[in-house]
Amino acid sequence: MLINRIFSGSDAVYGLTAEAVENAISQHGEDKAVGFPHTAYCLPCYYSVTGVKVKTLGELREALTVVKSLMTREHELEDALMSGVATALCAEFIEALKYLDGAVPYEEPCYGHLADSVIRELGVPLVTGDIPGVAVILGSAPTAQEGVDLIKSYQAQGILVTLVGGIIEQATELGLKMGYNLRIVPLGKDVTSVIHVVSVALRAALIFGNITPGDAGSLLSYTAERVPAFVNAFKPVDDVILAAGAGAIKLGFPVISNENENIVEVPGALIACPNVADFNKVSLEARNIKIKITNIDIPVAFASAFEGEIIRRGDMQVEFDGSRVDCAELVQTKEMDEVEDHKIEVIGPDVDTFELGSKHSLAYVVEVAGKKMQPDFEPVIERKFHNYINCIEGVYHTGQRDMFRIRISKDAYEAGFRAKHIGEVLYAQVKNEFEAVVDKCQVKIYTDPAECTRIRHEVAVPAFDRRDARLETLTDESVDVYYSCILCQAFSPSHVCIVTPERLGLCGAVSWLDAKATNELDPAGPCQIVTKEKPIDENLGAYEDVDEAVKKFSQGALEHVTLYSIMQDPMTSCGCFECICGIEPFSNGVVIANREYAGMTPLGMTFPEMASMTGGGVQTPGFMGHGKHFIGSKKFMKAEGGIERIVWMPKELKETVAERLNKTARELYGIENFTDMIGDETIATDPETLVAFLTEHQHPALSMEPMM
Amino acid sequence: MALNGIQIFKMTPKKNCKECGCPTCMAFSMKVAQGAMDISACPHMSQEALDALSEATAPPMKTIKVGTGDAEYSLGGETVLFRHEKTFVSKTRYAVKLDCCMDAAAVDAKIEEIKKVDYERIGERMFVEMINVAYCGEHKDNFLDIVKKANETGRILVLDCEDADVAAEALAVCAANKPILNGANASNYEAMSKVATDAGVVLGVSGKDLNELYDTVAALEKSGNKNLVLDVTGASVKEAFGNAVQVRRASVKDQDRTFGYPSIVNLTKVAAGDKYMQAALASVFTMKYGSIVVMDQMTYAEALPIYGLRQNVFTDPQKPMKVEPGIYPLNGADENSLCLTTVDFALTYFVVSGELERSGVPCNLLISDAGGLSVLTAWAAGKLSSSTVAKFIQEEVEPKVKCRKLVIPGKVAVLKGDIEAKLPGWEIIVGPREAVQLVKFLKDMQA
Amino acid sequence: MPFNQKPQKFNAQINTVTIGSGEKAVTLGGGSTFPFYTFDAPAENAPKVGVEITDMGLEGMSAGIKAYYDGAATMGEIAKKASEMEGADFVALYLEGGDPNGADKSVDELIAIVNEVAAAVDCPLVVEGCKNVEKDAELLPKVAEALQGKNVLILAEKEENYKAIGAAAGLAYNQIVGAESAVDINLAKQLNVVTTQLGVDAKKIVMNVGTACAGYGYEYVASTMDRIKGAALSQNDAMLQMPIITPVASETWSVKEAMASEADMPEWGPQDERGIDMEIMTAAADLAAGSDAVILRHPQSVATISKMIKELV
Repeated sequence: MLINRIFSGSDAVYGLTAEAVENAISQHGEDKAVGFPHTAYCLPCYYSVTGVKVKTLGELREALTVVKSLMTREHELEDALMSGVATALCAEFIEALKYLDGAVPYEEPCYGHLADSVIRELGVPLVTGDIPGVAVILGSAPTAQEGVDLIKSYQAQGILVTLVGGIIEQATELGLKMGYNLRIVPLGKDVTSVIHVVSVALRAALIFGNITPGDAGSLLSYTAERVPAFVNAFKPVDDVILAAGAGAIKLGFPVISNENENIVEVPGALIACPNVADFNKVSLEARNIKIKITNIDIPVAFASAFEGEIIRRGDMQVEFDGSRVDCAELVQTKEMDEVEDHKIEVIGPDVDTFELGSKHSLAYVVEVAGKKMQPDFEPVIERKFHNYINCIEGVYHTGQRDMFRIRISKDAYEAGFRAKHIGEVLYAQVKNEFEAVVDKCQVKIYTDPAECTRIRHEVAVPAFDRRDARLETLTDESVDVYYSCILCQAFSPSHVCIVTPERLGLCGAVSWLDAKATNELDPAGPCQIVTKEKPIDENLGAYEDVDEAVKKFSQGALEHVTLYSIMQDPMTSCGCFECICGIEPFSNGVVIANREYAGMTPLGMTFPEMASMTGGGVQTPGFMGHGKHFIGSKKFMKAEGGIERIVWMPKELKETVAERLNKTARELYGIENFTDMIGDETIATDPETLVAFLTEHQHPALSMEPMM
Repeated sequence: MALNGIQIFKMTPKKNCKECGCPTCMAFSMKVAQGAMDISACPHMSQEALDALSEATAPPMKTIKVGTGDAEYSLGGETVLFRHEKTFVSKTRYAVKLDCCMDAAAVDAKIEEIKKVDYERIGERMFVEMINVAYCGEHKDNFLDIVKKANETGRILVLDCEDADVAAEALAVCAANKPILNGANASNYEAMSKVATDAGVVLGVSGKDLNELYDTVAALEKSGNKNLVLDVTGASVKEAFGNAVQVRRASVKDQDRTFGYPSIVNLTKVAAGDKYMQAALASVFTMKYGSIVVMDQMTYAEALPIYGLRQNVFTDPQKPMKVEPGIYPLNGADENSLCLTTVDFALTYFVVSGELERSGVPCNLLISDAGGLSVLTAWAAGKLSSSTVAKFIQEEVEPKVKCRKLVIPGKVAVLKGDIEAKLPGWEIIVGPREAVQLVKFLKDMQA
Repeated sequence: MPFNQKPQKFNAQINTVTIGSGEKAVTLGGGSTFPFYTFDAPAENAPKVGVEITDMGLEGMSAGIKAYYDGAATMGEIAKKASEMEGADFVALYLEGGDPNGADKSVDELIAIVNEVAAAVDCPLVVEGCKNVEKDAELLPKVAEALQGKNVLILAEKEENYKAIGAAAGLAYNQIVGAESAVDINLAKQLNVVTTQLGVDAKKIVMNVGTACAGYGYEYVASTMDRIKGAALSQNDAMLQMPIITPVASETWSVKEAMASEADMPEWGPQDERGIDMEIMTAAADLAAGSDAVILRHPQSVATISKMIKELV
């Protein structure tokens, strides 16, 4: 039925166009010039689609036969959409005839055809996102007020609004100021004038997309991907409007309408929305338009200059303290329809009911949804909360998860700071910084003590446990890709870290999940995907793909890197490493020293001495920089036998890693309390004493295969 | 090619005898691999191992020493073509030219001019380290007089002289200070080599093109003289640059040891009489492979940029340049002037002090030891923390400065509270994130 | 046995980018060797030298520079004289007065100057923004619009404002886009990547990979350029094969060595001489490291550097 209506609308428009062209020819002759003023593209839509420049009425007649050829009637959706395109081209022809002989067919407030210079000027803010979208409003709103409210809602978001038909009179009637500078552009009262905005989109593709005229495929994918336009069509939607709408859909512009008779929804393309008040929200979601938040609505300042502010007890209005009462901060991934963007709820009493200087529970849950959102990004977002909340003037945050503390100063309170403002800050910052993955965000702030207890124990803690468990089970084998990290290349030009789930960056600060999130948020940034499809030797952790990546990102300085060996092509070190391990030949094992350790090691070298020969992005077989967390990993120098090789560590480091290390030793080799077999500076700082100690404790490294 | 530490370790006696000065054989091996120690420091190596190792660990480019005592400099010894790969180890040295056609007054004036440039920059004394004295073949007595005068300055001499007898006379005056005798070529190298060897000085070799130079060096090496520098000057600027690059590349990249010597580039020949062109070329040859650059003059106009450039280029790419921690009063600041603090990373210091000077506001710039790292890096590495700042201020600043207002870098606003807690009596102000905003920041602060 | 010469010619080359049009157009890049390594392969396009003038006229210029422009009263006249300087290949107009922390001139006021300068010269033109990222995002698209058809180089977009400037200069008005990053090969590359993703043709980009005055952290500039040229040539990295332009003058004429008066530093000697040498030596180092064009102010510097380039290629 929908298809038939489009066919019928398109046939009607074609008929009218053919008639108008013939009339014009009989009146002016075939050689009469035709075209729009101030454009180098003749009839821009027809030229973009076909690559043919129409300059005379005679050529226009020929063009019509081309248009007719688009109007196939196989009764598939594609035929209907192509008829839509044909309808749009017919509209352009009809509009072009209005400009014959230098006529000025449009007058204030309508613009009609827009000059090329307007497109060049518009194109820049469209590319930068300063104009986040282009709305095409067509027909008459149910009431003038509803129409104007809709226009204003787009205007407030910076969206360029074009108007066609009755809506123009409605806006005029209510005295709405319109004009190009105000980003409200009335095109014309006839439905065919809608072609002037299509003409803008297509010329933008030629100018900004370097699309070759006539390359219809590229043209359509450019408009679909790069021109964030959409159509709002008020009922009644007749066959002609429907046919024009089909053209819009073919360009990738969704059509949202309150029409409910004789129409079927086409998901993502033709969308029914009975309530005009919802047009804005539905349209933005359908076109995936994100509005930048430039202003955070809170009564105090927000800037990194306040990050280091400390609120002392005497200056404090109220305090939320996770170490005493139930508190929690959490990011949760939700489905798109479960989140209402920018909804901020306070559940429980607000700050002004609290006694001066008192202590309370607080839980805030930031619920996010997005087509590219993944639960793995939750902790990455969550870790930023500390920084966000600290940047609020007069608010202080320490700790994380369910062990945080927030203080609100008297001054901030006096200025009007309340619980919901925490939500405003979290909302704005999460939306801005994680724009690439968060499409919608809402915040729930709980101050009710019972609710806080519930959120903490029933929602947050299980979520943290799940995450930790996921980290535990995340292994190098269980993922399809690794990531490179070249954040340190400013210091170490040829250094490349390959970050895997079981081997975090050697700085200790970039885990596989961090690298993944960095890549997702900044696809051209320092972390790039490294595939692992072409293994050379899985025991060494050698892959052709990894070698290629390392060669590419080190600008050719490195050719081969293994993930699990310190003897053969070990991973390079930049200089940021938390620890260095180095081969200790007399005990047939390795010694690890951490940056904080200032003393001598049984290698006869201190940490700085070892660092000087390991850093700088060079490969030093037998020596390798790494993160502390890597020490307990099952992949730690796996190729040489794994953690069993560790013979010595500074005492403090040993204590830090003992739990994980002993667990791994138990799982891999059935050794209990492995750290008791490992020497430290209180036991030995020379190889001889160390070997004696290891012998006494029957350290497994002594009987392993020689390392060199 | 070079051996790594593990390969060297395998050849050591593995006794951990400590006689080399290292606690373990492993530590020794790593140092040898780095080039920090010579394999001969181990008394227990087998001859076989020594032979194998000294061949493999010998540097591609020789380190040639000139001068004596405090004025002893190393030339050459480079292992890479680009400084980001590894530190360029031997700085370019600049020589100002005197020649035997100058009269005594002109010579004296020139020597006075040379002495005038003498200053310190980031812990390094900047002055003309070498003087070139050229013999044209005619005014021998004048030449010898000039050699004497120049030698008295204590600067290292580079004698341009192709006459072996005259050279011997000149060396009789100055050999003790270990100058360079630059004058060997395809036709006189045997005689010249003997003069240089007898006097125990470095010999400079030139050739009409690279092939002739190559052959002459090969012949000298064969005769046993490996104490050489190569004068790569050539007939034109283009030739000089081509020679300097190709000689360095042949030795460092292609391991052709015949060209493994430092170079001399004489700008007074390829850009005679054009001091600006000489300045431009001095810069080019500092970047690319001039060990000694000879110029007509070195006034402050040339010195300030060229010594600064050299100081930058010959640095460890891993270790940022540092300035001395301390109080730097700017724009006539006194003990009551505002205090601002930042890190000791030289680049940060220069940018910040430059902007502060531009502001014209008297202030004390406080530089604490942050390991030579930039603000954010130092903060991340724990080298710039509330404790380091507070300790520095209490120990170094409080006794000397009365002002109790401290501006901290905007990038470490996060430290404000902690610093306040640790420095009672101080008002801590968060400054701008970028140095360029300092002028406006100070202006606004005063308003 | 003669010296065994091993030329090092790469199978990749730096993009060629032409600025301006007609007889006086200049072409940057095209080389497939390290700078001035003519013994590896003949030079393609010699590096170019631009003369910088600013919208602030001769305010703050050194005595020697003022002397050269003596008699030039308007920006048009100053520009014309600049274009006639011995050794000048192009003129670079630095809109320093646009800086909101400085003279804070309006965009309209600056565009009027841009038009005046463009009308006065027949050589290629480079326009440098005021370096404030917000202001440049507003100003440089207008410059690109005002100079349509002149094929000028717009200096420069940065990471923070590349969309506005890149889209205007590179897409809407068909100019050459200058991409400025802060002495780091990866930042330089990343900016080129995102700029080309906007749709800007990689062959219409010229990089400013960062500048420093000799003595002021110059090692970072040297190593950044060394590495970029290395990656462009030996790795054939298309996202680093853009030619490099280095605005030397604004850097060197603002350091103490060039600014201190002889009265303040008598032992340092004449101020103009110090400024010239700082400019010459920094520019020479930039060219040796890989700049395909430098921007200078003093007539002596322009003449010397231009002569040096001729002698080296």
